[in-house]
Amino acid sequence: MAHDDLRSFLDTLDKEGQLLHLTEEVLPEPDLAAAANATGRIGENAPALYFDNVKGFTDARIAMNVHGSWANHALALGLPRTTPVKEQVETFAARWDAFPVAPERREDAPWRENTVEGADVDLFSVLPLFRLNDGDGGFYLDKAAVVSRDPEDPDNFGKQNVGTYRIEVIGTDRLAFQPVPMHDIAQHLRKAEEAGEDLPVAITLGNDPVTTIVAGMPMAYDQSEYEMAGALRGAPAPIATAPLTGFDVPWGSEVVIEGVIESRKRQIEGPFGEFTGHYSGGRRMPVIRVDRVSYRTNPVFESLYLGMPWTEVDYLVGPNTCVPLLKQLRAEFPEVQAVNAMYTHGLMVIISTAKRYGGFAKAVGMRAMTTPHGLGYVAQVILVDEDVDPFNLPQVMWAMSAKVNPRDDVVVIPNLSVLELAPAAQPAGITSKMIIDATTPVAPDVRGNFSTPAKDLPETKEWAAKLQELIAARR
Amino acid sequence: MTDETRPAPTLCPRCAFETIDRLATSPVPGVWDVLQCRQCLYTWRTTEPARRTRRDAYPEQFKMTLADIENAIEVPAVPPLRADAAH
Repeated sequence: MAHDDLRSFLDTLDKEGQLLHLTEEVLPEPDLAAAANATGRIGENAPALYFDNVKGFTDARIAMNVHGSWANHALALGLPRTTPVKEQVETFAARWDAFPVAPERREDAPWRENTVEGADVDLFSVLPLFRLNDGDGGFYLDKAAVVSRDPEDPDNFGKQNVGTYRIEVIGTDRLAFQPVPMHDIAQHLRKAEEAGEDLPVAITLGNDPVTTIVAGMPMAYDQSEYEMAGALRGAPAPIATAPLTGFDVPWGSEVVIEGVIESRKRQIEGPFGEFTGHYSGGRRMPVIRVDRVSYRTNPVFESLYLGMPWTEVDYLVGPNTCVPLLKQLRAEFPEVQAVNAMYTHGLMVIISTAKRYGGFAKAVGMRAMTTPHGLGYVAQVILVDEDVDPFNLPQVMWAMSAKVNPRDDVVVIPNLSVLELAPAAQPAGITSKMIIDATTPVAPDVRGNFSTPAKDLPETKEWAAKLQELIAARR
Repeated sequence: MTDETRPAPTLCPRCAFETIDRLATSPVPGVWDVLQCRQCLYTWRTTEPARRTRRDAYPEQFKMTLADIENAIEVPAVPPLRADAAH
């Protein structure tokens, strides 16, 4: 079943035992972030957290870790909570083929219930804002879907972008904003600033779970996130028109913040503990002036803890990074079986592929680096054989240990592009990249002694099913 | 705690600047304020741990100076204005 808003998804999580409602009074800091941080340290299938008793607030509702386990991610896609990771990625990839699914426009958006404008805007009175990590420069909106349009082609629905960016609250009506140069909104901003114009934006908070997944997904510049959400949901994505900007925003958002990125202005921002497991910041970033806030009555503020992995963000952008890379590689190389790009948004990628001929796997690795996402990520690629599951790390380690002759199978290419946040880059934005070819060489690459591999016995699959049945029957 | 008993902060924990603004105050009166340094924009709640609120307990690696702010790089860089730009 497709969820049209965050609230209905929280209900589903609750019914499935995947929502923990904390009723005891907690401090805004450090409790909210520490509890969300702890969800990644208590084993698999941690629940979402819901707080409504936060010291000093009279009316705060805060949801965290909503996507923060494989069980929650499965439920977000409408799958059974026990669906294995590899199967979630495969389902995601299969649903992608339905793209584009036209969205459904609705008029009665619940966020029309309340509005503040102009001098009355005070983000602190609408949102129970709080700090995540010790070194953060302030309080952040880190799970918003931000909508912007191409200033040179404003009526192009496909070029309208929906993306997640880090946003620091630096005033009651002011935000600092980080557009990474590889991301679509950076192109919108560049065009606006070249023309000396402000760039209007609509920042939507507390969205249905699939909107959040597509907002963090590396897609082509002219592909619509809403049309992808429809494909992934199996139902058109409900959208509505934002009153000030006229942009298309999710119908079900808890809060819609509208304003402009002020042209040609930069202000000190950060630092912020990032998905790389390191802080970045102390740089001058674009600034947003907020002109209008629309919100549902009793809005739920959704936030995401990120820091040293794994945290919620790793679940959120794991599968949605694997699938675009898989699709882009398979378009040219149908031999590619599976892509695991779940480490730091694909800074490291493991690819399983059949080999057309000797040297083929290394070519697949190089192609991964030159995909649109690869230009900013994919600093390390491990290639494994078609019968190695890239999501099964012990199998991947076996392939590396048994198949790799380092002198010939490790290739390092200097001075390639990477996102500026990559901690190992030198200088920021530039890195060497590495291919580790852990596939079995095939002719005419005749290196090594691989002629007699031991394979699983033909009967093993049948026995695995039988053992699982017997174990289940015993419970 | 009331405003009268709460000591007014005089120093940014991060950059030691002395002009501090109040961005927000707790809906339950007198529990906390959200403060902001006018120089480095560091923002904190008065009920946060000392490591985030007190200059003498603030971690060295996160401290910032006026030079850090003035020399901070622009991300992304402001592009050249097009010749036909409106202003």
